[in-house]
Amino acid sequence: MDVSGLVDTATGRQSRAIYSSEELYRQELERIFGRCWLFLVHTSQIPEAGDYFRTFMGEDDVIVIRQKDGTIKAFLNSCTHRGNRICRSDRGNAKAFTCNYHGWSFAPDGSLSAVPLEKEAYFGELDRSRLGLVPVAHVAEYKGLVFGCFDADPPSLEDYLGDAKFFLDVWLDAMPGGTSLVGETQKMVLASNWKLPVENVCGDGYHLGWAHAGAMRAVQSLDLAGLSVGNSSTDLDGGLSVAGLNGHMALTSLDGVSGYAFYPKPKPMLDYLEFNRPQVIERLGKVRGEQLWGSQINITIFPNLQFLPGLNWFRVYHPKGPGQIEQWTWAMVENDMPAEIQAAILDNQCLTFGLAGLFDNDDGDNLAACTEQSRGWRTAQMDVFTNMALNRSGPREGFPGDIAAGLVSEHNQRYFYRRWQEHMQADNWAGVPTYNINSVVAEETIDA
Amino acid sequence: MLESGVAPMSTESVTGLTQRLYHEARLLDAERFEDWLECMCNDVTYRMELKRRRFRADRSPPAAVGVGVVFNENLARLKLRIDRLRSGFVWAEDPPNFVRRVVSNVEVERADAENEAIVHSVIVIHRNRIDGLTRVLTAGRSDRWRMHADGWKLAAREIALDHAVLPDSNINVFF
Ligand code: FES
Ligand SMILES: [Fe+2]
Repeated sequence: MDVSGLVDTATGRQSRAIYSSEELYRQELERIFGRCWLFLVHTSQIPEAGDYFRTFMGEDDVIVIRQKDGTIKAFLNSCTHRGNRICRSDRGNAKAFTCNYHGWSFAPDGSLSAVPLEKEAYFGELDRSRLGLVPVAHVAEYKGLVFGCFDADPPSLEDYLGDAKFFLDVWLDAMPGGTSLVGETQKMVLASNWKLPVENVCGDGYHLGWAHAGAMRAVQSLDLAGLSVGNSSTDLDGGLSVAGLNGHMALTSLDGVSGYAFYPKPKPMLDYLEFNRPQVIERLGKVRGEQLWGSQINITIFPNLQFLPGLNWFRVYHPKGPGQIEQWTWAMVENDMPAEIQAAILDNQCLTFGLAGLFDNDDGDNLAACTEQSRGWRTAQMDVFTNMALNRSGPREGFPGDIAAGLVSEHNQRYFYRRWQEHMQADNWAGVPTYNINSVVAEETIDA
Repeated sequence: MLESGVAPMSTESVTGLTQRLYHEARLLDAERFEDWLECMCNDVTYRMELKRRRFRADRSPPAAVGVGVVFNENLARLKLRIDRLRSGFVWAEDPPNFVRRVVSNVEVERADAENEAIVHSVIVIHRNRIDGLTRVLTAGRSDRWRMHADGWKLAAREIALDHAVLPDSNINVFF
């Protein structure tokens, strides 16, 4: 289906059909979820050989398994005999996966290791070597984040992430000990199209002061880029909307502490930041060490991965049809953090986001209603708009990307829908443009 | 009836505690949050841990930093949640949802402390939401109640939510 008229990046317009059309949704499964690198698991979630984690790539059920040699493989979680689901547990450790239906057994490397009555019923004629679990075509890791890709010939993961790595490293590589995702998976079903929460978190600073006014009042302890409760004022110098990174983006404040603005007791975290900041500046340079590490940053990796150093939640959205998603959240920590700080982060993340999260509990109904309001005969023909602050972006020294000032702008959302359109129009990766616009300007030039 | 084998609580205590649970449910249904807080001890703990789905034979170790929580509240944190609900900015609750709690399977046991009791119960929260759809949340509860001069007060509540995936967009309700 031709989507050239459904999104207009120049004017910031989207057709509501993109949130409700079944046909477009099938096309998204093929051209976006079937083509892009998708987040599977953090290495901290499957540390030992035999550890496995179940997730989804689009609507495909996938099982990710740590191998004996330490590498990570991913397979479709579907029996090669009659298609039954192989693994029914969320995660764990296993020596083998045995199918419930007829008892075929698969080893952690995916090979079909045992078939009941193989000699008696199959007369020894079954070629087990051809009936192993079907692997995900590509699995690769970037500093603890493991991604999978169904496409036969994708760009490398490093190239796919491109200049977004500048922001990823603010979490993944700030401290030498690396990072972990902690806690069990916080899962909820939302009656929302998958693009709406991504759009919301990738760039919508506008909704914070209004949709979350009640939560901000209840827990805000520090200033966040001048955002006020009730959307009565905003300070455009306090943050940046960074996009143009092949569909990835960041929304960031620049003060180095506001990540902890929504912690009722931020002192231990602020002490940790100040104590370690010289080391982080050494590792990441001044811009990231001083301005980004510790700041509230919303990072989006196209299409469905988002995480927020500071508020410290890490999330994927699994589509379940055009009007439904499962939203999975974990808390994110640095391994160098003292145990008390890690525990406090897990606790505060669950207080603010997740099942009973003070902030999350504001967003779900808005996203669901936006989805529902695109399903009617008349509403499906209407448009919605991300036309705030058009044509006010540009490069900025020390940063990659095409950047608009402030957390309140719809700049990032426009790039998100632009990328959506580019993928939906392209038959394969060769047709998808690359624009890591304005790769990082060397940092030495900043003080000059 | 009692696993511990000790003498059962008096009928008066059982009736009093059961009535307390019903009363509490009615206060919450009516959003009388401040009155509900009056049912709490000052050192109350109110917890719901995250669910996980594991094979029975799974031997992988528990999550390093903890399983994570849905609720991990003390009195101040319960007040903070109530402050948010009372702020006038919680659009998901305006117009109010139709919320009704059903409390059942009440079982009262003696606690170690003389003035305390362990109370098990099941709660079903029926919510007819603004979108016109109904969600039903079910949980088991294990409480510790303490006798004060003005009656039984909640000292601790452990809530086991019976949903691996929350079938709703929020938990703007107390269990
Ligand atoms: S479907 Fe799995 S063994 Fe038959
Ligand atoms: Fe939000």
